[in-house]
Amino acid sequence: MSTNLKIAIAEPSVLIRSGLEVVLKRLTGLRVQLVEIASAETLFDSLRIHKPDLLIVNPLLLGYFTLQHLKTESGSPDMKCIALLHTTVDNLVLRSYDEQINIYDSPDEIKHKLERLEAEEIPEETGEDEQQSLSTREKEIVVCVVKGMTNREIADQLFLSTHTVITHRRNIARKLQIHSASGLTVYAIVNKLVELGEIKNA
Amino acid sequence: MYKNGIYRETDKMSDLICDNYPMLLVMSRFGIALGFGEKNIGEVCRQNEVDACTFLTVVNFLAEEVNAPVEHINRCLSIENLIRYLHNAHDYFLEFRLPHIRRKLVEAISDCPKDVAFVIRQFFDEYAEEVNKHMAYEERAVFPYVRNLLAGKKDPKYNITIFRKRHDQIEMKITELKNILIKYYPGTGSNMLNSVLFDIFATEEDLASHTRVEDYLFVPAILALEKQL
Repeated sequence: MSTNLKIAIAEPSVLIRSGLEVVLKRLTGLRVQLVEIASAETLFDSLRIHKPDLLIVNPLLLGYFTLQHLKTESGSPDMKCIALLHTTVDNLVLRSYDEQINIYDSPDEIKHKLERLEAEEIPEETGEDEQQSLSTREKEIVVCVVKGMTNREIADQLFLSTHTVITHRRNIARKLQIHSASGLTVYAIVNKLVELGEIKNA
Repeated sequence: MYKNGIYRETDKMSDLICDNYPMLLVMSRFGIALGFGEKNIGEVCRQNEVDACTFLTVVNFLAEEVNAPVEHINRCLSIENLIRYLHNAHDYFLEFRLPHIRRKLVEAISDCPKDVAFVIRQFFDEYAEEVNKHMAYEERAVFPYVRNLLAGKKDPKYNITIFRKRHDQIEMKITELKNILIKYYPGTGSNMLNSVLFDIFATEEDLASHTRVEDYLFVPAILALEKQL
């Protein structure tokens, strides 16, 4: 499946930064949006503005700051952090990182590491048998959305809580990579879930 | 891959365009026409009354694929020229690119079921309207604010940070259209449909780089200007 990831690379060496960028961009099944950070001075500001999902950082760049401090200061408590290693670094320092990438890692190894981190993030997705196609319940919800019903109305009609409806909608968006109601309309018509007449009256 | 070196005034304009053909769009948005012969970038700019520094700043920003706000804005950058460039880019998307894609799309999907063609058209029109709103806001609120700023008048109620915060990515939804066509298009494929898809891929990239120029070059330049006043 293709995942969208916003990744910040904080590394002073332009060669290593661009090299990693090229490798990340070429990984299949992954759409990355990259933010480059070249110095410690711009680190906090840049993280605050971009709020990346993932930070790949040279631990030496952080100096005496702890990761915890960095996450709090930049307002991204859930950001995952990977240490980018050129040399050996004190294990004590590395403990607070979620993962490590060594500059001699192969693209495949890097991909596996990213996938592992992703899997931790979305546990419901790791089910082996789960296909990218929608379940019957999800299809029912698509039909309701396309007819212009609110989450409340959908919940009432299908005897669900609004919270469940929202979770379903999030899963639908993730599986199909379609986020807008008009996009779902095209999906629903193409897959014959509804007739055009039913939506036009809505 | 395009070349990504730093271009200078003394480089030939034709070399720049051949190394990196999306620069054709940059050139025409600055109001420079083809047919410049063997002239270098500086000469072509002067001949067309374009500020060479601004032109090269945009060119090098795009060629280097800069992914972070530019920290030191070159003093010679003409914000007036940059606004004209952004404005022409808006015109290009709204008056040419999107209508052009729409015409081709309508033709390409003409033999698929009527209801499908209807919802695809509807999706596209909604998208075009969104892009329109997005760009209209910049034309209506942001550019006049900056022009006043250049004239030394500061608006107490507005600053560029407001724009930076509300500025969203407009290429997301066209990515969605592309995904829908690729995954679910029910008719038989055709050369025309492929051609539309190529256009959409290119537009998606073009919109993304347009947004980058705004976020990482235009906004930092205005922030610096605000500080001066």
